Amino acid sequence: MSETGAMRDHWYPVGMTKQLTEAGRDTLLMGEPIRVFRDGGQPQVSDGAGRALPVIDRFGHVWTSLGTPAKDLFTIPEADQPGRRLVDVGVCRVRCSPLRAVENFLDIAHFPFVHTDILGSEPHTEVERYEVEIRDDVDEVWATKVKFFQPQAAKSAEGGITTDYMYRVCAPTCSVLYKTCPPKPGEWDVIALFVQPLTETLCDVWPWMALYDDDAEMTDLIHFQQMIFVQDRSVLENQLPALLPLDPGMEIPTRADMTSIAYRRWLKRHGFTYGAQLVAA
Amino acid sequence: MTREEFTIEGALGTPLFLPWVERHAARLGLGMRLRDCTPGRLAVEFEGAPALLDAMEMGCLLGPIDAWVESIVRKRISVT
Repeated sequence: MSETGAMRDHWYPVGMTKQLTEAGRDTLLMGEPIRVFRDGGQPQVSDGAGRALPVIDRFGHVWTSLGTPAKDLFTIPEADQPGRRLVDVGVCRVRCSPLRAVENFLDIAHFPFVHTDILGSEPHTEVERYEVEIRDDVDEVWATKVKFFQPQAAKSAEGGITTDYMYRVCAPTCSVLYKTCPPKPGEWDVIALFVQPLTETLCDVWPWMALYDDDAEMTDLIHFQQMIFVQDRSVLENQLPALLPLDPGMEIPTRADMTSIAYRRWLKRHGFTYGAQLVAA
Repeated sequence: MTREEFTIEGALGTPLFLPWVERHAARLGLGMRLRDCTPGRLAVEFEGAPALLDAMEMGCLLGPIDAWVESIVRKRISVT
Protein backbone atom coordinates (compact mmCIF):
# COMPACT_ATOMS: atom_id res chain seq x y z
CA MET A 1 0.00 0.00 0.00
CA SER A 2 1.29 3.47 -0.81
CA GLU A 3 2.22 5.84 1.96
CA THR A 4 -0.68 8.23 2.45
CA GLY A 5 1.29 10.38 4.91
CA ALA A 6 0.02 13.78 5.97
CA MET A 7 -2.69 13.74 3.30
CA ARG A 8 -4.56 11.03 5.19
CA ASP A 9 -6.00 13.57 7.66
CA HIS A 10 -7.70 15.70 5.00
CA TRP A 11 -11.14 15.74 3.41
CA TYR A 12 -11.77 14.31 -0.05
CA PRO A 13 -14.83 14.23 -2.32
CA VAL A 14 -16.21 10.72 -2.84
CA GLY A 15 -19.48 11.28 -4.69
CA MET A 16 -22.31 13.62 -5.62
CA THR A 17 -24.89 13.96 -2.87
CA LYS A 18 -27.90 13.83 -5.16
CA GLN A 19 -26.73 10.57 -6.73
CA LEU A 20 -26.47 8.71 -3.42
CA THR A 21 -28.67 5.67 -2.89
CA GLU A 22 -29.29 3.41 0.07
CA ALA A 23 -27.60 0.59 -1.84
CA GLY A 24 -24.59 2.87 -2.20
CA ARG A 25 -21.55 2.44 -4.33
CA ASP A 26 -18.08 1.04 -3.79
CA THR A 27 -15.10 3.19 -4.59
CA LEU A 28 -11.52 3.81 -3.46
CA LEU A 29 -9.88 6.50 -1.40
CA MET A 30 -6.09 6.57 -1.44
CA GLY A 31 -5.99 2.91 -2.39
CA GLU A 32 -8.41 1.78 0.34
CA PRO A 33 -11.88 0.44 -0.46
CA ILE A 34 -14.77 2.52 0.88
CA ARG A 35 -18.56 2.46 0.47
CA VAL A 36 -20.62 5.64 0.04
CA PHE A 37 -24.32 5.29 0.75
CA ARG A 38 -27.40 6.91 2.20
CA ASP A 39 -28.85 5.80 5.52
CA GLY A 40 -31.89 7.45 7.06
CA GLY A 41 -31.60 10.11 4.40
CA GLN A 42 -28.08 11.05 5.48
CA PRO A 43 -24.86 10.43 3.51
CA GLN A 44 -22.64 7.83 5.11
CA VAL A 45 -19.21 6.44 4.28
CA SER A 46 -17.62 3.27 5.63
CA ASP A 47 -14.18 1.77 5.11
CA GLY A 48 -13.32 -1.78 4.04
CA ALA A 49 -13.76 -3.07 7.59
CA GLY A 50 -17.21 -1.47 7.91
CA ARG A 51 -15.94 1.32 10.17
CA ALA A 52 -17.88 4.57 9.82
CA LEU A 53 -15.76 7.40 8.42
CA PRO A 54 -16.39 11.10 9.07
CA VAL A 55 -18.75 12.76 6.57
CA ILE A 56 -19.41 16.30 5.37
CA ASP A 57 -22.13 17.11 2.83
CA ARG A 58 -21.09 20.36 1.11
CA PHE A 59 -20.96 21.89 -2.38
CA GLY A 60 -23.23 19.13 -3.71
CA HIS A 61 -20.68 16.46 -2.82
CA VAL A 62 -20.01 13.99 -0.02
CA TRP A 63 -16.61 14.40 1.64
CA THR A 64 -14.79 11.98 3.87
CA SER A 65 -11.39 11.22 5.35
CA LEU A 66 -9.47 8.05 6.22
CA GLY A 67 -7.81 9.86 9.09
CA THR A 68 -8.69 12.52 11.63
CA PRO A 69 -9.00 15.94 10.01
CA ALA A 70 -7.75 18.69 12.29
CA LYS A 71 -10.01 21.27 10.69
CA ASP A 72 -13.31 21.66 8.90
CA LEU A 73 -13.55 21.40 5.13
CA PHE A 74 -12.72 24.72 3.42
CA THR A 75 -15.52 27.11 2.58
CA ILE A 76 -16.49 28.84 -0.66
CA PRO A 77 -18.52 31.86 0.48
CA GLU A 78 -19.80 32.49 -3.06
CA ALA A 79 -21.76 29.23 -2.83
CA ASP A 80 -24.21 31.01 -0.49
CA GLN A 81 -24.70 34.14 -2.61
CA PRO A 82 -28.26 34.44 -3.86
CA GLY A 83 -28.73 34.29 -7.63
CA ARG A 84 -25.89 31.91 -8.35
CA ARG A 85 -26.56 28.62 -10.08
CA LEU A 86 -24.77 25.74 -8.42
CA VAL A 87 -23.70 23.17 -10.98
CA ASP A 88 -22.63 19.62 -10.15
CA VAL A 89 -20.79 18.78 -13.33
CA GLY A 90 -20.44 15.04 -12.68
CA VAL A 91 -17.38 12.84 -12.64
CA CYS A 92 -14.48 12.33 -15.00
CA ARG A 93 -12.09 9.43 -14.32
CA VAL A 94 -8.50 10.18 -15.24
CA ARG A 95 -5.50 7.87 -15.22
CA CYS A 96 -3.14 10.36 -13.62
CA SER A 97 -1.86 11.47 -10.25
CA PRO A 98 -4.52 13.46 -8.34
CA LEU A 99 -1.86 16.13 -7.83
CA ARG A 100 -1.24 16.27 -11.58
CA ALA A 101 -4.97 16.90 -12.11
CA VAL A 102 -4.87 19.90 -9.76
CA GLU A 103 -1.65 21.22 -11.26
CA ASN A 104 -3.12 21.09 -14.75
CA PHE A 105 -6.14 23.07 -13.52
CA LEU A 106 -3.75 25.77 -12.26
CA ASP A 107 -1.92 26.05 -15.58
CA ILE A 108 -2.89 28.89 -17.90
CA ALA A 109 -0.19 28.46 -20.54
CA HIS A 110 -1.82 25.35 -22.04
CA PHE A 111 -5.12 27.07 -22.89
CA PRO A 112 -4.32 28.06 -26.52
CA PHE A 113 -2.88 24.63 -27.32
CA VAL A 114 -5.31 22.27 -25.55
CA HIS A 115 -8.52 24.34 -25.44
CA THR A 116 -7.92 25.97 -28.83
CA ASP A 117 -10.41 28.72 -29.78
CA ILE A 118 -12.27 28.29 -26.49
CA LEU A 119 -10.09 29.20 -23.51
CA GLY A 120 -7.19 30.42 -25.65
CA SER A 121 -5.97 30.89 -29.19
CA GLU A 122 -2.80 31.65 -31.08
CA PRO A 123 -1.13 34.10 -31.29
CA HIS A 124 -2.41 35.15 -27.83
CA THR A 125 -0.15 32.71 -25.99
CA GLU A 126 1.81 34.95 -23.65
CA VAL A 127 1.09 34.65 -19.93
CA GLU A 128 1.48 38.12 -18.41
CA ARG A 129 3.12 38.49 -15.02
CA TYR A 130 0.83 37.75 -12.11
CA GLU A 131 1.19 37.34 -8.36
CA VAL A 132 1.39 34.14 -6.33
CA GLU A 133 1.63 33.64 -2.60
CA ILE A 134 1.17 31.02 0.07
CA ARG A 135 -1.19 32.72 2.54
CA ASP A 136 -0.10 31.56 5.96
CA ASP A 137 -3.25 32.81 7.74
CA VAL A 138 -5.49 30.43 5.78
CA ASP A 139 -2.76 28.00 4.66
CA GLU A 140 -3.76 28.24 1.02
CA VAL A 141 -2.01 28.99 -2.28
CA TRP A 142 -3.40 32.04 -4.10
CA ALA A 143 -2.59 33.34 -7.58
CA THR A 144 -4.04 36.76 -8.35
CA LYS A 145 -4.03 39.38 -11.12
CA VAL A 146 -3.95 36.67 -13.78
CA LYS A 147 -5.09 37.90 -17.20
CA PHE A 148 -5.54 35.90 -20.37
CA PHE A 149 -7.26 36.48 -23.71
CA GLN A 150 -10.01 33.95 -24.33
CA PRO A 151 -12.10 33.44 -27.47
CA GLN A 152 -14.99 31.96 -25.45
CA ALA A 153 -14.34 32.26 -21.73
CA ALA A 154 -17.64 30.76 -20.64
CA LYS A 155 -20.86 29.39 -22.03
CA SER A 156 -22.33 32.86 -21.51
CA ALA A 157 -19.49 34.74 -23.28
CA GLU A 158 -20.08 36.32 -26.68
CA GLY A 159 -16.82 36.81 -28.55
CA GLY A 160 -13.30 37.06 -27.20
CA ILE A 161 -12.49 38.88 -23.96
CA THR A 162 -9.49 39.35 -21.71
CA THR A 163 -10.43 37.29 -18.73
CA ASP A 164 -9.29 37.98 -15.17
CA TYR A 165 -8.51 34.99 -13.04
CA MET A 166 -7.72 34.11 -9.45
CA TYR A 167 -6.69 30.62 -8.42
CA ARG A 168 -6.88 29.18 -4.96
CA VAL A 169 -5.58 25.83 -3.68
CA CYS A 170 -7.50 25.16 -0.49
CA ALA A 171 -6.80 21.45 0.07
CA PRO A 172 -4.21 19.01 -1.30
CA THR A 173 -6.47 17.89 -4.14
CA CYS A 174 -8.92 20.79 -4.43
CA SER A 175 -8.65 24.08 -6.27
CA VAL A 176 -11.07 26.94 -6.84
CA LEU A 177 -10.87 29.23 -9.85
CA TYR A 178 -12.46 32.68 -9.88
CA LYS A 179 -12.87 34.23 -13.32
CA THR A 180 -14.54 37.16 -15.04
CA CYS A 181 -18.29 36.71 -15.11
CA PRO A 182 -19.41 37.87 -18.59
CA PRO A 183 -23.08 38.61 -17.76
CA LYS A 184 -22.31 40.28 -14.41
CA PRO A 185 -19.23 42.53 -14.46
CA GLY A 186 -17.76 43.02 -11.01
CA GLU A 187 -18.60 39.50 -9.89
CA TRP A 188 -16.58 36.32 -10.27
CA ASP A 189 -17.72 33.04 -11.73
CA VAL A 190 -16.54 30.22 -9.49
CA ILE A 191 -15.30 26.93 -10.90
CA ALA A 192 -13.94 24.35 -8.50
CA LEU A 193 -12.06 21.15 -9.11
CA PHE A 194 -12.58 18.53 -6.43
CA VAL A 195 -10.31 15.53 -6.97
CA GLN A 196 -10.83 12.14 -5.35
CA PRO A 197 -7.51 10.30 -5.13
CA LEU A 198 -8.41 6.68 -5.97
CA THR A 199 -4.75 5.69 -6.09
CA GLU A 200 -1.52 7.59 -6.67
CA THR A 201 -2.04 7.34 -10.43
CA LEU A 202 -5.83 7.26 -10.79
CA CYS A 203 -8.41 9.83 -9.78
CA ASP A 204 -12.04 10.82 -10.11
CA VAL A 205 -12.43 14.52 -10.85
CA TRP A 206 -15.64 16.22 -9.72
CA PRO A 207 -15.86 19.76 -11.15
CA TRP A 208 -18.39 22.08 -9.50
CA MET A 209 -19.47 25.60 -10.40
CA ALA A 210 -21.28 28.56 -8.85
CA LEU A 211 -22.23 30.84 -11.74
CA TYR A 212 -24.29 33.90 -12.52
CA ASP A 213 -25.98 32.71 -15.69
CA ASP A 214 -29.76 32.91 -15.95
CA ASP A 215 -29.96 31.96 -19.59
CA ALA A 216 -28.03 28.79 -20.32
CA GLU A 217 -29.64 25.39 -19.92
CA MET A 218 -28.15 23.38 -17.07
CA THR A 219 -27.20 20.59 -19.47
CA ASP A 220 -25.34 23.09 -21.67
CA LEU A 221 -23.37 24.41 -18.68
CA ILE A 222 -22.45 20.85 -17.74
CA HIS A 223 -21.52 19.88 -21.29
CA PHE A 224 -19.32 22.96 -21.70
CA GLN A 225 -17.31 22.13 -18.60
CA GLN A 226 -17.16 18.42 -19.41
CA MET A 227 -15.87 19.23 -22.89
CA ILE A 228 -13.06 21.33 -21.36
CA PHE A 229 -12.09 18.59 -18.97
CA VAL A 230 -12.14 15.83 -21.57
CA GLN A 231 -9.65 17.91 -23.57
CA ASP A 232 -7.44 18.03 -20.48
CA ARG A 233 -7.73 14.31 -19.86
CA SER A 234 -5.82 13.27 -22.98
CA VAL A 235 -2.92 15.48 -21.89
CA LEU A 236 -3.02 14.38 -18.26
CA GLU A 237 -2.99 10.68 -19.10
CA ASN A 238 0.17 11.08 -21.17
CA GLN A 239 2.29 13.13 -18.79
CA LEU A 240 5.63 11.68 -17.75
CA PRO A 241 6.51 11.00 -15.06
CA ALA A 242 3.05 9.93 -13.93
CA LEU A 243 3.66 11.21 -10.40
CA LEU A 244 4.06 14.94 -9.78
CA PRO A 245 7.77 15.72 -9.29
CA LEU A 246 8.55 17.82 -6.23
CA ASP A 247 12.13 18.18 -7.47
CA PRO A 248 12.07 19.80 -10.93
CA GLY A 249 15.00 17.69 -12.14
CA MET A 250 14.83 17.58 -15.92
CA GLU A 251 11.84 19.93 -16.03
CA ILE A 252 12.46 23.59 -16.73
CA PRO A 253 9.70 25.56 -15.00
CA THR A 254 9.36 29.15 -16.24
CA ARG A 255 7.76 32.27 -14.81
CA ALA A 256 4.43 31.23 -16.34
CA ASP A 257 4.54 28.19 -14.03
CA MET A 258 4.61 30.24 -10.83
CA THR A 259 1.32 28.84 -9.57
CA SER A 260 2.45 25.28 -10.16
CA ILE A 261 5.71 25.98 -8.34
CA ALA A 262 3.85 27.51 -5.39
CA TYR A 263 1.52 24.50 -5.31
CA ARG A 264 4.45 22.07 -5.32
CA ARG A 265 6.23 24.10 -2.61
CA TRP A 266 3.09 24.00 -0.50
CA LEU A 267 2.80 20.20 -0.97
CA LYS A 268 6.46 19.78 -0.09
CA ARG A 269 6.21 21.97 3.02
CA HIS A 270 3.30 19.91 4.39
CA GLY A 271 4.58 16.49 3.33
CA PHE A 272 1.58 16.04 1.00
CA THR A 273 3.27 13.43 -1.13
CA TYR A 274 0.56 10.92 -2.10
CA GLY A 275 0.76 11.09 -5.91
CA ALA A 276 4.11 12.91 -5.81
CA GLN A 277 7.58 11.89 -6.90
CA LEU A 278 10.27 12.88 -4.46
CA VAL A 279 13.37 12.32 -6.57
CA ALA A 280 14.36 14.33 -9.62
CA ALA A 281 12.12 13.80 -12.62
CA MET B 1 22.83 39.23 -21.41
CA THR B 2 21.94 40.06 -17.85
CA ARG B 3 24.04 39.44 -14.76
CA GLU B 4 22.27 39.10 -11.42
CA GLU B 5 23.13 38.06 -7.90
CA PHE B 6 20.70 35.60 -6.31
CA THR B 7 20.63 35.41 -2.54
CA ILE B 8 18.91 32.16 -1.65
CA GLU B 9 17.90 31.60 1.97
CA GLY B 10 16.32 28.65 3.73
CA ALA B 11 17.21 25.22 5.07
CA LEU B 12 19.98 24.52 2.59
CA GLY B 13 22.10 22.27 4.82
CA THR B 14 22.01 19.35 2.44
CA PRO B 15 25.26 18.71 0.56
CA LEU B 16 23.11 18.16 -2.51
CA PHE B 17 21.88 21.74 -2.80
CA LEU B 18 24.87 23.45 -4.38
CA PRO B 19 25.49 20.65 -6.94
CA TRP B 20 21.76 20.79 -7.74
CA VAL B 21 22.00 24.55 -8.40
CA GLU B 22 25.08 24.02 -10.57
CA ARG B 23 23.32 21.34 -12.62
CA HIS B 24 20.19 23.42 -13.09
CA ALA B 25 22.22 26.47 -14.16
CA ALA B 26 24.15 24.33 -16.65
CA ARG B 27 20.89 22.94 -18.02
CA LEU B 28 19.69 26.49 -18.63
CA GLY B 29 23.02 27.51 -20.14
CA LEU B 30 23.63 30.16 -17.49
CA GLY B 31 27.04 31.37 -16.43
CA MET B 32 27.51 30.93 -12.67
CA ARG B 33 29.91 32.24 -10.04
CA LEU B 34 29.59 31.28 -6.37
CA ARG B 35 29.85 34.19 -3.94
CA ASP B 36 28.94 32.68 -0.58
CA CYS B 37 27.70 29.35 0.71
CA THR B 38 26.49 28.55 4.24
CA PRO B 39 23.85 26.07 5.49
CA GLY B 40 21.26 28.85 5.50
CA ARG B 41 22.35 31.09 2.66
CA LEU B 42 23.70 30.83 -0.84
CA ALA B 43 24.82 33.85 -2.84
CA VAL B 44 25.40 33.17 -6.52
CA GLU B 45 25.94 35.30 -9.59
CA PHE B 46 24.20 34.12 -12.74
CA GLU B 47 24.53 35.44 -16.28
CA GLY B 48 22.11 34.79 -19.14
CA ALA B 49 18.90 35.85 -20.86
CA PRO B 50 16.31 37.43 -18.50
CA ALA B 51 13.71 34.69 -19.14
CA LEU B 52 16.28 32.04 -18.23
CA LEU B 53 17.19 33.88 -15.04
CA ASP B 54 13.46 33.81 -14.22
CA ALA B 55 13.47 30.07 -14.92
CA MET B 56 16.46 29.66 -12.60
CA GLU B 57 14.50 31.38 -9.83
CA MET B 58 11.50 29.10 -10.43
CA GLY B 59 13.66 25.97 -10.34
CA CYS B 60 15.51 27.03 -7.18
CA LEU B 61 12.26 27.86 -5.37
CA LEU B 62 11.45 24.15 -5.54
CA GLY B 63 14.99 22.73 -5.39
CA PRO B 64 15.90 19.19 -4.33
CA ILE B 65 13.47 17.41 -2.01
CA ASP B 66 15.70 17.63 1.07
CA ALA B 67 16.18 21.40 0.89
CA TRP B 68 13.67 24.12 1.69
CA VAL B 69 14.12 27.48 -0.02
CA GLU B 70 12.42 30.19 2.00
CA SER B 71 13.23 33.14 -0.23
CA ILE B 72 15.22 34.32 -3.21
CA VAL B 73 16.30 37.95 -3.54
CA ARG B 74 17.59 39.02 -6.94
CA LYS B 75 19.86 41.99 -7.56
CA ARG B 76 20.76 43.14 -11.06
CA ILE B 77 24.47 43.69 -11.54
CA SER B 78 24.71 44.55 -15.22
CA VAL B 79 23.02 44.31 -18.63
CA THR B 80 25.09 43.96 -21.79
